[in-house]
Amino acid sequence: MSPFHGQGHGEVLQGTLDLMVLKTLEAMGPLHGYGIAQRIQQASKDLLKLNQGTLYPALLRLEQRGWVRSKWGMSENNRKARYYSLTAAGRRQLVTEAARWERMAAVITGMLAGTEGA
Amino acid sequence: MERLRVFFSRAWGFLHKRRLDEQLREELQAHLDALIEENIRSGMTAEEARAAALREFGGVEQTKEIYRRQRGLPFLDVALQDLRFALRGLVRRPGFAIASVLTLMLGIGATTAVFSVVDRILFRSLPYPHDDRLVSFGLLAPIERDEFTLGAGYIDFRKEPGPFEAITSMAPGTTDCDITEQDPVRLNCAQVEQTFLPTFGTEPLLGRNFTVEEDRKDALRAAILSYGLWKSRFGGNPDVLRKTISLDGKTAQIIGVLPARFEMPTLRAADILVPQALDETEQRQSAPGVVLRTFARMKPGVDVRQATAALQPWFELTVSGAPPEFRKEIHLSVRTLRERQTSDARLASWILLGSVFAVLLVACTNVANLLLARATVRERELAVRAALGASRARLARQSLTESLLLGLLGGVAGCGLAAILIRVFVSIAPEGIPRLQQAGLDLRVGVFTLVVALASALIFGVAPALYRPSAEIMMGKEQISARRGGSLRQILVVAEIAISIVLLASAGPLLRSLWKLQNAPTGMETENVLIEQISLGSHNYKEAAQQFAFFTDLEARLKRFPGITSVALSDSIPPAGQMRSTILAAVEVAGRSALAEGTGGPVGWRAVTPDYFSALAIPILEGRGFRQEDRLPTENPIILDETLARRIFPGKSAVGKQLRLFKTPDGPWRTVVGVAANVKNDGLQTDGDPEFYLPWKNDPLINLHAGYVIVRTRMNPASVASWMRSETGSLDATLPVNIETMSQRVGKLAERPRFNAMLLCLFAGIAVLLAAVGIYGVIGFLVVERTREIGVRLALGATPQSILKMVLSGVVLCTIGGAMLGLLGAWFCTRLLESLLFEARAHDPVVFALAIFALVAVALVAAWVPARRAMRVDPMMALRYE
Repeated sequence: MSPFHGQGHGEVLQGTLDLMVLKTLEAMGPLHGYGIAQRIQQASKDLLKLNQGTLYPALLRLEQRGWVRSKWGMSENNRKARYYSLTAAGRRQLVTEAARWERMAAVITGMLAGTEGA
Repeated sequence: MERLRVFFSRAWGFLHKRRLDEQLREELQAHLDALIEENIRSGMTAEEARAAALREFGGVEQTKEIYRRQRGLPFLDVALQDLRFALRGLVRRPGFAIASVLTLMLGIGATTAVFSVVDRILFRSLPYPHDDRLVSFGLLAPIERDEFTLGAGYIDFRKEPGPFEAITSMAPGTTDCDITEQDPVRLNCAQVEQTFLPTFGTEPLLGRNFTVEEDRKDALRAAILSYGLWKSRFGGNPDVLRKTISLDGKTAQIIGVLPARFEMPTLRAADILVPQALDETEQRQSAPGVVLRTFARMKPGVDVRQATAALQPWFELTVSGAPPEFRKEIHLSVRTLRERQTSDARLASWILLGSVFAVLLVACTNVANLLLARATVRERELAVRAALGASRARLARQSLTESLLLGLLGGVAGCGLAAILIRVFVSIAPEGIPRLQQAGLDLRVGVFTLVVALASALIFGVAPALYRPSAEIMMGKEQISARRGGSLRQILVVAEIAISIVLLASAGPLLRSLWKLQNAPTGMETENVLIEQISLGSHNYKEAAQQFAFFTDLEARLKRFPGITSVALSDSIPPAGQMRSTILAAVEVAGRSALAEGTGGPVGWRAVTPDYFSALAIPILEGRGFRQEDRLPTENPIILDETLARRIFPGKSAVGKQLRLFKTPDGPWRTVVGVAANVKNDGLQTDGDPEFYLPWKNDPLINLHAGYVIVRTRMNPASVASWMRSETGSLDATLPVNIETMSQRVGKLAERPRFNAMLLCLFAGIAVLLAAVGIYGVIGFLVVERTREIGVRLALGATPQSILKMVLSGVVLCTIGGAMLGLLGAWFCTRLLESLLFEARAHDPVVFALAIFALVAVALVAAWVPARRAMRVDPMMALRYE
């Protein structure tokens, strides 16, 4: 149904994309969609192939939950652009999400290590 | 919290679609432009840059679609789209829309109106908290149909009320009481025990309940006003609690006002509650004591059966003191309050509700028919939509939306019709249908209507929703599917006919019963007789002598009027009088042993003046009537009715025999001077109890404070009535006067059956009408659909007559099928009617035959017009058609 569920084309899990967007906004401050996409691409050292369009439904979802807010402004090259920034709730959410991600990563790493050991 | 936030955000998105779409387009465009610029900077040509950007971005339109679905309320979007489509469809075919909505209006309107009436009888809770725990309990005897308890027994029980949380008692009925100060007025007073209001869980609106002290004999009198009296007489002034009123000449302190919604458990109107002041010593001395109506609130978790069982020991104890002949005819009874209040109205209510639902079902069937017919017309359109990718669920949803829209429109129109019908019901309904005056459209009835409208929509919407165009239609083989839809519609017609027959077959016996009831002999001539009912107040007429003088004065005055042929007085009036009653065992015959083991059953009696028999034209079969000299205190004659004379003196003449009444060893022996023909005394349906007559005179035995003046006249009843009114007024201007003709009084007795029969007939009529419309529609449609086929048949040599036969034979088959089903249904349904019938059989073959005949006739007439059209099809036109 939603493109985030497909994993065969190097696309990204839904929760993961949310987390990446939140983290990007925290690190870089207010940013437009294009900027966020570039930043994620860079940070993943082009390992992730992000369908950049999928970013927008994710941003909408985050905005609907009150984790980011958006404002129209002018971009560096004098174009009208929509800037997204993190809200206080978004900051809290980032902390929880990050912690959960780390826990899960630890579990999976542990499991993989265990399997190898057997 | 978060969900709510998302919902609001989506709702915002839903409402601002256009603006947000524009913003989204801009935002995505900016992103693409940025990607393209970047690509150009890295050395691509403009075209390459654009292609690469689109690749990197992923589908733009796809993104937009996902975004939109996420942003708004997609479910609502689709629903609105369906609704718009449905509305457009209705507007485009106004004939179809009007026919459907009118049909539904009839069905839903009638259902709503009947529901609002029977709801108060069957379902709605009584105006007391935890009303399901309230019961009426006590003894039932042959002469008393509602539970009662005798004073001494009640006092015993009160100490240990077993399964009950609270019990209370009141004097049976209400008594007339007069406010005797300025603006004197006659009111209804109810005497209740101090525990009365608490047992019913009712708090006075103002003031307080009676105290235990106020409920004692010789206490200062206290009174609680009804809400109505408080408003009308005291202007709703709260100061009323400091006032006193003078009730029957005695001062009473007003201590409280009842809430507006309070009603007496007996459903009688009561203006004032006064303490009953039941005195224990007095009751024990005069054991078994006075008759009381007793009510109780069961403990939580106790049901009526358990309560009855728990009361058994008390019951045994109570009747142990009674004479043995009574004991075996008295039962213990515990009934819920609802059952006591509505016992005889419940069956009729269920029947009316059932019949009106049947009408609704026929209405739904008709609308389903119309929708199916339209679906067939729209077959191509549906097929195209299916071919373009609309899923079957999507098409069904679209079709159901249309049905729901129709249902709601029908519901709104039905509410309007119901408001009118309720008014009609209330104005023509007889007295005694519990709580009819309160019937109306309120929130509860509104919700019911909504549910009925939606349920109807589902019922008539299911068949069209499941109707799926097949691939063949695309290729022009429409005949196949036309047949398919046709057979479904014929099944619906069969159902309509069956339901109509059930309704007709149920209305029939009720009508027959009504006819018999109205022509049932009453034993007297009711034409040209006027009845004046008089009740003298106990304040102005304290002594029996005063009361006696009033009535004899009035009699003498009325006799002077030239147009009056006879004037009589009596203490009660057939055929529905509250006559006085004793038992056969209390009658002694000189020189014979007891007449009956047990009570011998109740025997009614009334006191009458000599002209009574001539005024009502009751024949004296043997001996003579009363004479003027029988009114002297020294004379003790008695007249028996035919049944009683036969019962006491079988095979012999009663005249000249000596009787002593009421088990009074020192009472006088009375000589039977005559035997009168029987009259109906207990309504029209039963023969009633045997009775005897005593002369009306100033005797402690005879109630003189209230009575009836019976006048037979040759003149116009209206002018005689006004003469009677003025004569009564000249004796006592303050007396309320109530004059009716005897025919009116008798007519009232048939009002309830008439009301039931009328409504059922109305519903049956509507059902038949709808069925006729349905048949007409279906046959007409079939003919249009088969025009080409008919044309071919005609071209190949079929005669118009054979075409007519072909079309009509389909109708006949449907009708026969419907009639069989209907008969089966009627066989079961009419049995429920049995207890409402008077001298008419529920399974009446004549009625069944008439019902079937009527429907076959209606079906043929309805099919005739389209069938004639089929006959006149021009083969050339038909073959070129399409």
